[in-house]
Amino acid sequence: MASTTVEAGAAGHGAEPRGKRTDDGQATYLIAIAEALWEEMERDERVYLLGEDIGAYGGAFKVTEGFLDRFGPERVMDTPIVEETIVGMAAGSAMEGLRPVAEFQYADFMSSGYDEITTVLSRYHYRSGVPMPVVLRGPSGGGVRASSFHSTNPEPWVAHAGGIKVVCPAFPGDAKGLLKSAVRDDNPVLYLEHKWIYRRIKEHVSEDPDLLVPIGEARVRRQGDDVSIITYGAMVHRALEAAAALEERGTSVEVVDLRTVYPYDEDAVLRSIEKTSHALVLSESYRYAGIGAEVAATIAEKAFEHLDAPVERLSPPNLPVPFSPPLEDAFLPQVADIEAAVDRLSAW
Amino acid sequence: MATKTKKQPDTSLPMPEEQLQHVLYLLKLTRYFDERMEALYRQGRLPGAIYSGRGQEGTHVGVVMPLRPDDSLFPTHRDLTAQIAKGLDLKRVMAQFWGRIDGYTRGRDGNSHIGDWQGNRTFTVMSHLPIAYPVACGAALAYQRAGDDRVALAICGDGATSNGRWHEALNTSAVYRLPVVWVVNNNQFAYSTPNRLEFPVPTVAERGAAYGMPGVRVDGGDVLAVYEAARAAVDRARAGEGPSLIESVSLRWRGHAGHDPANYMPDELLERYMAEHDPVKNFETWMREHGLVDDDSLAELQARIEREFDEGYEFALASPFPEPGDAFKGNWTDDGYWASEPGRGGGTEY
Repeated sequence: MASTTVEAGAAGHGAEPRGKRTDDGQATYLIAIAEALWEEMERDERVYLLGEDIGAYGGAFKVTEGFLDRFGPERVMDTPIVEETIVGMAAGSAMEGLRPVAEFQYADFMSSGYDEITTVLSRYHYRSGVPMPVVLRGPSGGGVRASSFHSTNPEPWVAHAGGIKVVCPAFPGDAKGLLKSAVRDDNPVLYLEHKWIYRRIKEHVSEDPDLLVPIGEARVRRQGDDVSIITYGAMVHRALEAAAALEERGTSVEVVDLRTVYPYDEDAVLRSIEKTSHALVLSESYRYAGIGAEVAATIAEKAFEHLDAPVERLSPPNLPVPFSPPLEDAFLPQVADIEAAVDRLSAW
Repeated sequence: MATKTKKQPDTSLPMPEEQLQHVLYLLKLTRYFDERMEALYRQGRLPGAIYSGRGQEGTHVGVVMPLRPDDSLFPTHRDLTAQIAKGLDLKRVMAQFWGRIDGYTRGRDGNSHIGDWQGNRTFTVMSHLPIAYPVACGAALAYQRAGDDRVALAICGDGATSNGRWHEALNTSAVYRLPVVWVVNNNQFAYSTPNRLEFPVPTVAERGAAYGMPGVRVDGGDVLAVYEAARAAVDRARAGEGPSLIESVSLRWRGHAGHDPANYMPDELLERYMAEHDPVKNFETWMREHGLVDDDSLAELQARIEREFDEGYEFALASPFPEPGDAFKGNWTDDGYWASEPGRGGGTEY
């Protein structure tokens, strides 16, 4: 993962088919997301999709491949390039009882719809009591050589708005269960799927159409005693890789996958710190005023007496994600960076 | 409502007499409301801000008259008159101005940043203009998908037509042939900025052609002309024929908000509009000329309006403030805060 190779088609412009589950039931993250959408659309005819190139083309990453044939153009709506109107239209239709799932071709382009997201979606219910069951989906994150405008992690932008739940699954099972929960939630939810994970991570995923993963619950992905890594999204996989290497050197690392970053599972984080007394907060979103900053502040505030070392943060600076492999690798936290941070914490 | 000697229905009238009387009531009520609220503001007895819609009542009442209770309205802060015409309860409107629990936003917002979606199908106003235009597309999309004949009607000012969302929303509504009516309340000034610094074409209405939709320009000082244009646009939307654009021209008689003396407004322009395009005076004259009102009925109407204002004012001041802790409730649907929302308006039958 830390190699400096450029992966062909990594940014998703390959138009390769979405693929199928393996014979033993393993699904990629991409397939899991598609299954969640498909099953929710079968379950509830109020659910519909809107976005750019999601119909005949099947979406830039092929999440909605085949949906148009099954559900028709009314429920798989190709829109003009109108991000503000995609969000506003989702909001207005939700106010009239529909349950829209709007796709941003890349999560980066949410900034083109920002006012409707932060002003309408985030604040309407607080001021009116009118439910706003809207899901916004967007492929986020870097590590795929997609540079500044196709690698953004916008979760802090939206978490800060305050009225939108933000979920960032790391595994196919969570991706499926969280998306189904998001569709069934009466509040707006931003669902950030990480494009690095799409076709790389697969696991056995339940075929039960009502298996939900609750929004707001973290999951301990690896038990450990010495240091806790609190993270989410693609960084979970780097943390697990680092933890395996550290285990061999005698350091026992616990990896807590937040899964939902707003509102996040404070209790799960504090429980882990009580156990290990060492906290590394790892995020792919920006360091300054980012998700990691919030988690670190909470640990310092509420678990001070359990800490044997200062809380450490590992996250990129508030700069554009660069393209060239050595630049991007320097920019994003790598496995070696995580190992070094854990070693620093263990030395206290 | 003012009563008159019963006579045979006059089929030459543009709408039934009862509705014409209601139009007069709305015009005079909202004019009186606007003037009284400004006086209270200047006396320091009204907290927050006011955004006068004076001089534009013909636009606001005219475009709402063709709407049914189940049609939706997406207004701006300037369009409180349109919301009252749609059926909002004056008592709860005034409770909103004083930050009370009985206001439509339960004290979470003030003044004309108001709405009553559950009752009268009006969107709770937001300041970023024209932010409600894309949302109106969504409501219209839901009507289209349900296969019914409801209509969404959205209002913005001349200044908001410069914003990218105005283009996005008109374009998208035309692409999908959505049942929506776009109203531009061209009161000639966006805060202090005149039309010539907002757009390079002579009229907003002609921009309809760029989106393949009809665009008409009407005199906002003539409520019946506005009504006719709106009725045609609403009928077209109901029939599944797609969106329309209406530019209703008036003048903003007062400043952008209560604090603004509007020194940029040319005196002769204001005087001309007040003399020739006063929608309230013009319609009252029309009613007189058609024998539908007289001095007695007008005096009775005025007394009713003043009584309703006073009752609203008393209701507002008697309504409790929200509990301080309410500030932290009702963000998510799950905490039940909004489940106890007091009685909704029932919608006005025209």
